[in-house]
Amino acid sequence: MDDFGRRLLQRLVRRTPAQALKATLGKWERLTVAQRQSVDFTQPKVAVMEQLVAIFEENGWTVKHITELEMINYMENANRGMWHAFQMTDPKDDANAVEMMQFKEQFKSHLSELVRHVSVKIKKHTDEALWIRIAWGDSYSPPNHLKPTYVVHHLQTPYVFVTSLNSKQKPFLVQALILSTGYQGIKDANLSGQKLTAIRDLLMKQYQQIFPSKYNSPLTEKNETVSNPHIEREQSEHASKRLQMACEAFGDGIVPQLQTAVYKLETKFRGDANTNRTMTKREGPFRCLVKFASTNLLESFRECASSGIASTPVSPLLSSITLKGRNYFVVTENGLPSSQT
Amino acid sequence: MKVGDLSVYIDMSLLKPFSKLPALNAATILLVEREERFQQNLADALVGDTTVTVNVRLAKSLPLPMDNEESRPRIDLVVFIINLTSELSLKSAEASLKYLDPGYFLGKVCFLATNARNTSVPTERLDAMRKLAASLHCPLLFAEDQTPDGVNSATERLLTVLKVAAGLVPTATALYLSSLTRCTIPPDIDQPSFE
Amino acid sequence: MLNMEQHRGSAVRTPINGVPVQKRSKSYRLSYGSCLGAASRFGFTPTLTARRFSTTRRVSKLHNVKEKINADQLALLVKMEWKLSYVTPLYQFRHTKLKSYSRQLSVFITAEKQQGLAVDVDRVQNSYRVSFSLVHGMAGTDDAETVLIQVHSKHMFAKKDEPQKLIWSGWLTCMNGNSDYLGSLPKDFICLPLFGSSGPEDLTSLVQSWFKQNFDCCIGPLEISHTSLQWLAALWTNCHNEDNIQHLKLIWSLPVAPPLQITYTVDPQDAWDLWGSVRKGSGAEKVREEEEPGKIIDIDEVMSFMQGLNSHFYKHFRLDLSSGSLKEVATSLGSAKYNGKIKISNSKYMITTLTLLTEGALLKMPI
Repeated sequence: MDDFGRRLLQRLVRRTPAQALKATLGKWERLTVAQRQSVDFTQPKVAVMEQLVAIFEENGWTVKHITELEMINYMENANRGMWHAFQMTDPKDDANAVEMMQFKEQFKSHLSELVRHVSVKIKKHTDEALWIRIAWGDSYSPPNHLKPTYVVHHLQTPYVFVTSLNSKQKPFLVQALILSTGYQGIKDANLSGQKLTAIRDLLMKQYQQIFPSKYNSPLTEKNETVSNPHIEREQSEHASKRLQMACEAFGDGIVPQLQTAVYKLETKFRGDANTNRTMTKREGPFRCLVKFASTNLLESFRECASSGIASTPVSPLLSSITLKGRNYFVVTENGLPSSQT
Repeated sequence: MKVGDLSVYIDMSLLKPFSKLPALNAATILLVEREERFQQNLADALVGDTTVTVNVRLAKSLPLPMDNEESRPRIDLVVFIINLTSELSLKSAEASLKYLDPGYFLGKVCFLATNARNTSVPTERLDAMRKLAASLHCPLLFAEDQTPDGVNSATERLLTVLKVAAGLVPTATALYLSSLTRCTIPPDIDQPSFE
Repeated sequence: MLNMEQHRGSAVRTPINGVPVQKRSKSYRLSYGSCLGAASRFGFTPTLTARRFSTTRRVSKLHNVKEKINADQLALLVKMEWKLSYVTPLYQFRHTKLKSYSRQLSVFITAEKQQGLAVDVDRVQNSYRVSFSLVHGMAGTDDAETVLIQVHSKHMFAKKDEPQKLIWSGWLTCMNGNSDYLGSLPKDFICLPLFGSSGPEDLTSLVQSWFKQNFDCCIGPLEISHTSLQWLAALWTNCHNEDNIQHLKLIWSLPVAPPLQITYTVDPQDAWDLWGSVRKGSGAEKVREEEEPGKIIDIDEVMSFMQGLNSHFYKHFRLDLSSGSLKEVATSLGSAKYNGKIKISNSKYMITTLTLLTEGALLKMPI
């Protein structure tokens, strides 16, 4: 194995916890059972590395095989890096009929036409998602396997999730995607996060949603904690209404784990008109950037609303996160829902 | 809406101390807390008292909903729980005060502040709290809400005040007790002083 | 929630009802910091003498510290982010004995670091070099002169001829301390209540314990309170017409589970306009026209400024920032964090900022 292969393998070993590495090797079909069992994961990473190098050299495996391993590893541990969502638009009639083999072939051939040196690997994940690994090169340099772009696409949906893509590469990827799927355009979905599963679930609405209804939902009963006949909540109705509205806006149960939401506000100053007449009458927007951050943003928001820190009904700006599946917003005077004024 | 209607409405929403008859050997306490965090623990501890029947009503703010008017017993003591780390907590209590009949301020209201020792509490807020309690002639208690001991000692104090306020202690009245326990502020709270 | 626990922990460690220090006269045991007594169990403490933050501040624009303070010292002061502590008055501290203090502290640090280690004696003697120096020009009329402390050291495996590197620095200052209070101190005490440090924490605690042992003082962590942070937000914004503040950034934390952090970054010009609109009796233009140095800012103006920012926020998100607490304020002039970290990036506004912090330190002292 050459130096570069060594570096690539070393990086993979170093970045992955021992248990995850073991699982990755278990999923890789190339290893024999004996080979798999011969690796002792309790020893230091350096020693594990040497054992793996020996196995690779014994079999004459190269960079190609290491990238294969890296891909399996990434698919199993998708929650790293920053994932950005894109949405394809203007479907043609055959958009829903694109098959995996057809897509694979077309995507590879289109991309290699667009970029001189590029290495593409496509694999189907257990959840039917297509994983694409792209190592980019250009006319003068071979594909850089140290900085691959990962693309995840669910066939028959307009959504594409991308990580580690720079602006130079973006047009090529967009072009190749459009040519090999049945869509004619692609746009930034303004949604990003560290957890691929979270942004996917949010966009595809794969979480427990509560819809507004006239009747009391099961949530109401959940909220009533009558511990003792002598204790009475005077405003239990308000509380359950708040909880209902909180869940309508941000989902019930386990919600997609988003970390941030960003709002760029370019609206008129909306302070108290009585105390601050000068500002409310002022021409031009009051420009500010508001960033919300939490380990689980939707859960934090839900608690804000159910506990009354956030007034209900929930601000349309906040409920747009789930409603529109976005976490980046530019809010201008025209774009502001009328209920805000 | 006519002016007359409005006054009726305001009148109805006021909580009055003597509009209902007291129940035998029972006392009712209303815990008002914006955050609704400490009140449940406190309520559980309060109803554990064996000498009298304690009824606890929990609210986030005043006024109380009209619908419960019928079923609600006479409230003998109103406690405002204020988390000093939150400005909103104090503001909300202030806003609720105007829904109490003035009769309550003769010994049937008390303030319970939590987190007073937390370093993130600005002195100004503590001052505002003390001034509020002093101006209304109400006692101001400090409580520790995170430990069982803190909850117990707060419970004991509230029970003492509650029993007097409900007229269950033959030798004392609410007004008498409050004249002893009400919060006072030092005369120099507003100006720096170096003796 | 976790944060709160920690803060409470630190509050509990702070003596509440005054440390019994016999040497001190009664006259100032009744002064600063007895506001901490307000945290006593009952709402009434008859002897409570409250000392509060000033409700007005003078913003003098002519702080040409650049001309007064040594350039190297100033460069160091504005380069680092400092972790703040409060220090009670130092007993028998002499500004004339700084050389001897330098020697003593070097020996102290070396000895403490050496404990339990068998090291070459010759080497060890040189391994920590401490220098105390005066910072001229950084004191108000009644204040004691600011003292700068620097610790230099070599790597354990550095070559003989390699120069020692600055590994820790700290300073003790008093900027426009309350003159009544300073005047009430007995002669043997020097008041330098604000202590800033930058460097490894073990060195900070060594330096602090040396001070405690030698000058019979108490040292404890100093948070930058909610009110101080609001003051800084206003004071810095107030400078925007002279020096572009680039942005006004406020970080709030809301007490929900999991905790919600909100970063609110306002365009400098819009922040300035809002500030102008809340200044009493003057629109934004009027303030700009007035060129007289030394303006008075009132706490009410600071509060209306924050109120304005919060209500603009509320109208959009229907989320009440006042239910949480302000954790951090930053502009290009500096940044301040609730946990007691401060960076003053522009020397022009150092005096104003340090005056505010000195006041905070004096309030925090458990005398």
